[in-house]
Amino acid sequence: MQYGKYRFIVGFLIVPLALYGTFVISPFVQTIYYSFTDWTGVSPEFEYVGFANYEFLLEDDLFREAFFNNIVLLVGLPVFTVLLALLFAFLLNVGGTGAGVRGIAGNGFYKLAFFMPQVLSVPVIAVIWTVIFSPESEGLANSFLGWLGLGPYDWLASPSMALYCVLWVLVWGSVGFYLVLFNAAMSSVPRDIFEAAFIDGAGRLSTFVRVTMPLLWDTIQTSWVYLAILALDAYALVFVMTIGPGGPDNSTQVMALRIAQEGFQNGKAGYASAMGVVLFLVTLVIAALLLRATRRERIEY
Amino acid sequence: MNAPRPHSRRIFLRRAGLSTLAVSGGASFLTACASGGSDDEDDVSGGGEEQTAENPFGVDAADPLHVVIFNGGYGDQYAKFHEGIYQEQFPDAQIEHEAITDIRQQMQPLFNAGNPPDVLDNAGAEQMPISTLADTGQLTDLTDLWAADALGFEGMTVEETLHPIAIEAAEYADRPYVMNYALQVYGIWYDRALFDERGWEPAQTWSEFMDLCETIKSAGIAPMAHQGKYPYYIQQVVLDLAVKHGGPEVAYAIDSLEPDAWQNDSIRMAAEALLEVKNGGYMLEGTEGLDHIQSQTRWNEHKAAFIPSGSWLENEQAQVAPPSFETTVAPTPLLEGAVLPFDCTRLEAAESFIVPAQAANQVGGLEYLRIMLSRDGAREFTELTSAPTVVNGAAEGVEASPGLASSLALIESGGENNWNYYFRIWYSPMAPKIETAVGELAAGRISADEFCDRCQEAADETAADPATQKRTRP
Amino acid sequence: MATKTRATRGDISVSAASHIVLIIWSFVVIVPFVWTLVASTKTTREIFGDPWSLPADPQWNNYESAWDKNVGEYLLNSVVVVSGGVVLTMLFGSMVAYVLARYPFPGNRFIFYLFASGMMFPVFLALVPLFFVVKSFGMLSTFHGLILVYVAYSLPFTVFFMHAFFRTLPTSVAEAAVMDGASHTGVFFRVMLPMAKPGLLSIGIFNILGQWNQFVLPQFLSPDRPLLTQAVASLLSNQRYRADWGTVFAFLAIAMIPVILAYLAFYRQVQSGLTSGTLK
Repeated sequence: MQYGKYRFIVGFLIVPLALYGTFVISPFVQTIYYSFTDWTGVSPEFEYVGFANYEFLLEDDLFREAFFNNIVLLVGLPVFTVLLALLFAFLLNVGGTGAGVRGIAGNGFYKLAFFMPQVLSVPVIAVIWTVIFSPESEGLANSFLGWLGLGPYDWLASPSMALYCVLWVLVWGSVGFYLVLFNAAMSSVPRDIFEAAFIDGAGRLSTFVRVTMPLLWDTIQTSWVYLAILALDAYALVFVMTIGPGGPDNSTQVMALRIAQEGFQNGKAGYASAMGVVLFLVTLVIAALLLRATRRERIEY
Repeated sequence: MNAPRPHSRRIFLRRAGLSTLAVSGGASFLTACASGGSDDEDDVSGGGEEQTAENPFGVDAADPLHVVIFNGGYGDQYAKFHEGIYQEQFPDAQIEHEAITDIRQQMQPLFNAGNPPDVLDNAGAEQMPISTLADTGQLTDLTDLWAADALGFEGMTVEETLHPIAIEAAEYADRPYVMNYALQVYGIWYDRALFDERGWEPAQTWSEFMDLCETIKSAGIAPMAHQGKYPYYIQQVVLDLAVKHGGPEVAYAIDSLEPDAWQNDSIRMAAEALLEVKNGGYMLEGTEGLDHIQSQTRWNEHKAAFIPSGSWLENEQAQVAPPSFETTVAPTPLLEGAVLPFDCTRLEAAESFIVPAQAANQVGGLEYLRIMLSRDGAREFTELTSAPTVVNGAAEGVEASPGLASSLALIESGGENNWNYYFRIWYSPMAPKIETAVGELAAGRISADEFCDRCQEAADETAADPATQKRTRP
Repeated sequence: MATKTRATRGDISVSAASHIVLIIWSFVVIVPFVWTLVASTKTTREIFGDPWSLPADPQWNNYESAWDKNVGEYLLNSVVVVSGGVVLTMLFGSMVAYVLARYPFPGNRFIFYLFASGMMFPVFLALVPLFFVVKSFGMLSTFHGLILVYVAYSLPFTVFFMHAFFRTLPTSVAEAAVMDGASHTGVFFRVMLPMAKPGLLSIGIFNILGQWNQFVLPQFLSPDRPLLTQAVASLLSNQRYRADWGTVFAFLAIAMIPVILAYLAFYRQVQSGLTSGTLK
């Protein structure tokens, strides 16, 4: 047996844990502390107020609206992103014509192109899509739909559409990365497995569902959880893209935005901290549920 | 490793005193610490020198000065000029000049640590919430500044040289704490050159305005555009119409959170008027989704005739407007039965300069502000930015562009009828709710009654919130 | 055994449909990107006045003004911080994930959840306390300060992801190495890490992107030594006051280059690394 097992464990853990504890855990714990005070964020003076912030939160209609908007994103973002990424990965690896199992022609180009959104950072993406979604009839989205005889629509200016525009942009910005991920995962699946399925007469779709997905399950699960967290934490995009921000008419209000507004603009940093703690707990619960619900046997191959 | 968590003012000040000691010498340490646990709002840091006619606050010539300017629409050139004057007066002082846009990101930690700058231009999207700063004792009382001799104005105190709205805007709990520097003129803006060419004139009454809109529309131009993404702009028009109709009491009631302040008939009429514009098809198509640059650009291109904005507009669009464009302000027209005359508007004293209470060189900060408010200092600002300051008459002799000239004319002609409101600064949680309602109104999705109800609801919520400081006007 | 040697009609139509879908998405993905590049040569009025037409007169001086705005310096700062940050993140992240995945010990689960839960807290709430922590170490506006903070905040997801990965690696190879006398560290560096290459590459790209695009942390912690993305965010918010969008887009175009280069470099790596069948 190897010696120094515990020495090894400690040796490997100590530096990262110290870093993590200092720069992540410690500030977070302080934030929890602040959630029990009336700290304004701009003054070193504040007082302990117990659970007052949390009580107020229960009555806060705006926060509730934000919460429900986040739920919409929570459902939409992982579902659409994972589905699209899986679809494209599948097409690119297995969608080709010809003998056996081949990727589609033009593979290389697609893989390169689809990654493009990742190159742009969030504020930039927000600006670009705001222009595309211009409600004028010469706006790109509207003129494009105009050819098809649809529209013009108000997009981000419409209380019923705005949130879905935000969702769309989030999906658009995420697919590229997860495509690379699934692509990588799929490429490491030995070809023989696919070929065997084909020989057995499996069509593309059933191959996809019965062979591909189980093999990729771990990756899909991780992606799902991370996208769910992204949906709950969405801030930068909403801030730059939406009217208000958070509008029109609070239709794109999200929890992270509420936190920023209360903490930074309204001088209620204690209250914002309480919201942050609640957001953290919600995320924790949802992530735990997701992990449990999607748990499966791991496949080693 | 943990952040300092001060639980009492005394401990905190002692620490501030120590850092001050390191920075500016013994004198300030004593002044900062002297009153330990008592309320020391009257003790000012820095200085300690003799108070003379040239140096009314007793600034110590050797003390450094830390100035932070918001680098936005007005830039920071003017600040360098002011610093130059300060430097001449105090050649040994080290001046640290910073021009940034992320005020909150960079200043918040300083405020929390107790070493904020001596002068802070608190403006822009990332500004600190100023009423919170005032309420938590973070600002220096400017009474001494108000009472000091004004530079460049024989025999007048600083207070006497300032526009009444600037004096009003400075106050929290009846003492002045904020020096708002720029006087922003609001109204509906148009291209004088275009109007001259077509023989149009801004209308004085509402019915004339509707006729004008019809004329403009048939010429193929949208009569009005607005910055849909930021309902703040079109909100101006609604409030202006209401206040000119019902008198300044309308604004007082709103700012004082009086019950039914928003159910006032003038406000209802103003809301109806806006709906008339929208439903008459006089709004630029798609304007609800445009931000300020986009909508203002369309306006520069003559796709729309009028746009609500303030006196920074000309400067902001300087790179975009064609050379023949003459940015000019018009007051909003009068609703039927208006009590105020046509030629007045909302004036906002903006670009808030503060001297933080924890600053190391507070008296230096006061002197710097006095320099800004001098005749030369104020004129330089207007020259560089084409924007009026709060110092009366300081813009004399400046070559005025159309935007500046029409703004100054309106300040002059409006006189005492020019008005302002403060609920946006005083009750920051309420403001976005009002703006949301305005956005819905401007898009034609709610009725005037619904608008009044929603605003009233927001106001009532704020009035009932124990955490919000209530203030009254006049 | 016979395999299909000729494409059937069904095959062709599926492939055609696939192409259509992929082409549509390519369009959706490339247009915004190209738009940014074209916008970088326009004047402000053209960008918002005629967003979809080509510039009348390409404004290459936009690039000059972007350069004057120190885009080169910010680029360098970002490259330094992200390089350091990603390398350390990958190293520490794998070390932690490996230990947690393969070595049961009391407190193992607790530490794992500690890291995993770090993913779920909104970062900007912790900014003010974090500022004071960093300040107390004298690390504000320093490269090493930023790198350490970046690493600390990237650990949660890296650990979470690599943990799953290490769990699936077969034990047989490790056992063989141990029999040959390898130490714990030896097994890690010489056997397990190479086997985890596909995972490392994926999470590597993720970290590069995540750290490169991060602007909230440096805004608060490094005001005097700005990184590229925080300069971009600043520039963009500045546009509310002074419209000079042509320069902004030129700035953005320059900012995109390193990421594209990194992706191109990694892309080859990803392809070659993954299809070499090291897992078998």
